[in-house]
Amino acid sequence: MFRFLSYVWNRFKEYLILVVLVVVSLTLLTQNNNPQIQKVRVVAFGSFATVTSVFYDLFNITQLKNENKNLRKVNAELMIQLSMLREQGIINRELKGMLGYKDTSSLPITPATIVSRSLSLTQNTITIDVGTKKGIKPGMPVISYKGLVGIIQTCSDGFSIARTLKNVDLKLTVKNEKNRLNAIMKWDGEKLMMVDVPKAYDFDVGDRIVTSEMSSIIPVPIPVGIVSKIDEEQTGLLNLIEINPFEEVLTVEHVFIIMLIENDEKNNLELNFYNKK
Amino acid sequence: MKLKFFLPLIIFFPVVIIQLTVIPFISIQEVVPDLLLITVVYFSILYGQVFGTVTGASYGLMFDLISGNLIGSSMLSKTVAGFIAGYFSSETRRDKYLYTYSFSLVVLITGLIDALIFSFFSVIDFNTNILQVLFNHALMPSIYTSVISILVIIVPYKRTFLSENR
Repeated sequence: MFRFLSYVWNRFKEYLILVVLVVVSLTLLTQNNNPQIQKVRVVAFGSFATVTSVFYDLFNITQLKNENKNLRKVNAELMIQLSMLREQGIINRELKGMLGYKDTSSLPITPATIVSRSLSLTQNTITIDVGTKKGIKPGMPVISYKGLVGIIQTCSDGFSIARTLKNVDLKLTVKNEKNRLNAIMKWDGEKLMMVDVPKAYDFDVGDRIVTSEMSSIIPVPIPVGIVSKIDEEQTGLLNLIEINPFEEVLTVEHVFIIMLIENDEKNNLELNFYNKK
Repeated sequence: MKLKFFLPLIIFFPVVIIQLTVIPFISIQEVVPDLLLITVVYFSILYGQVFGTVTGASYGLMFDLISGNLIGSSMLSKTVAGFIAGYFSSETRRDKYLYTYSFSLVVLITGLIDALIFSFFSVIDFNTNILQVLFNHALMPSIYTSVISILVIIVPYKRTFLSENR
């Protein structure tokens, strides 16, 4: 028996090792949401991000000059917009007061810097330099001054990994700012798409897309992008709508995390509604 | 213990730091070269198929853990890539595949397989155009990786050439 096993091992060890490792990989693929695996991931990326943050800063210094120039320009533009918005804000407050509406515009945000990015066409992620110590939790939206960047996926004490818009695992409910029509947005590996949009929906190239209040992940309207193309299939009732995101995930360096996670109260209410027999 | 068993682990950290911090700056249309794959192929040809397969699995798993990828996806693709690269390893063929431009060709082949398996777990759905996936998600990154892998051949070759002419 031992001789037989020894013969099999010597003859097929390459294949046996391959099969074992493939089985282990497939098992791990099914265990991604296992808390134990999540714990190992938090420790691994938390310790590694400390090292990468130092290196990222070193290589990033060369780009700071250009970034400063662009920021000065954006600052000037924002200053003009701000003065106009201030005027509108005063009028808006008065009108809201007259109607008895509650103001929900102020959201707590935490600034962060990207310390590394894992670029892949399908699973684009970024590591940022804030973690649970600053109150960051999985599910919080990551934004830049232009718009939505992604969602926090995992957190360690000092660092967090966020899935960017260009990650196939991130699907969001978004809406057309013009006519408030909702749809599901996802990254298909090449383009940011709004999928299964009924042809009857009035979407035009150039429409602004923002996150929808109906989303259980991001229940506040954050700018996402602009409709760039409408793929109208000749047959069928649904359209595919391409979106050009406001923020380019590849070049963004400084982000903000909105300290807001999905509303348990709202979710519980919805769950109770569906549970009712 | 032989140094060769620790060598992949020692090399992993500088390689992955470069992959996550420097490589994004040289991306073309979000296509980046995969330095980990080049390293796995190198070890696989140098030390054989079993070593390459295990190195591929370890590199893939560690990369999945620290990069936020789906855990197991890189592990699976790099395991198979290491295994395939091992076919180009033998006493007689080692130098041919390690120190000539054939190395880039091996990287291209394994890169295609690696990217295909990795994409399979990420983008394949009922609406996917397989040819498009092949081109965008496998061919482009593999070509870029194989071009970068030329450095692995040129740098040691140049060093040998210079020392011989001194």
